[in-house]
Amino acid sequence: MVNLNAVLLISFLLFSIGIAGVLIRRNALVILMCVELMLNAANLNFIAFARHSGSVSGQAFALLIMGFAAAEVAVGLALVVALYRKRDTVQVDDINLLKG
Amino acid sequence: MEHLLETIGRNMFAIFGVMALCGAAFMVAAKSAVHSVLGFLFTMLCVSGCFLALDAEFIGMAQILVYAGGIVVLFLFVVMLVELSKFKEKGVFQLQSRYAVVAVLVGAAAFVAAFKNVIFGASSPEALILRPELAKGLDVAQQNAQAVSRGLFSDYLLPFEILSVILLVALVGAVVLAKTERV
Repeated sequence: MVNLNAVLLISFLLFSIGIAGVLIRRNALVILMCVELMLNAANLNFIAFARHSGSVSGQAFALLIMGFAAAEVAVGLALVVALYRKRDTVQVDDINLLKG
Repeated sequence: MEHLLETIGRNMFAIFGVMALCGAAFMVAAKSAVHSVLGFLFTMLCVSGCFLALDAEFIGMAQILVYAGGIVVLFLFVVMLVELSKFKEKGVFQLQSRYAVVAVLVGAAAFVAAFKNVIFGASSPEALILRPELAKGLDVAQQNAQAVSRGLFSDYLLPFEILSVILLVALVGAVVLAKTERV
């Protein structure tokens, strides 16, 4: 049997790696991937608690989150491509349009 | 041999979980964006293995379809479109690295504080075991797709429909954003 603590531990570590990636990396593509990783960690928690409580609601919500993540990545990658066209860069350090 | 296979089968979740963590670490640490995407793909496959080990068969398969089939290909296309070789990252750690190190240390301290009893405690609290008998009552293990769809189309019909609208908006938004300028 799977220990719920083990699931929570793994999902916590996945989430932390995602946050570390968002903080450390300067490449917009990698940052998007790290955001996806964090959403997946949340999904893992949903699945674990659905299994723990014997209810199927958590799995339904995990499916909804998956669709949401797909929408987010489509818009995010379109933004990256548009930025590359306009500013010729995908490094978030170089993007300071609001600085004036 | 049989005993070994049985042990592996019992610890499937832990194996896939640790592999997912390794893939995620590789994804964050890799210098080349293509390597990052490959690490991302590996992580997503391992997470879907975790889902399968947790008796969520439908979600696990959907994970493979959506991530390995859709999102990773999308990322690879953008990596191909964007000429990444001209951005020389001096190292993975850059300007903000000091703050990042502080954030990681604070997070690690919070982690140790939260899981101290589980990890170090001499008498760790009674572990929460996932309850298979409840899952069996709902036929989650055997008829996972039916159970999920029944939940999705009865109790969660409104969020499901809202998600479809969000997907439509994202589609239109992506097309508008990625379109070439009309002067």
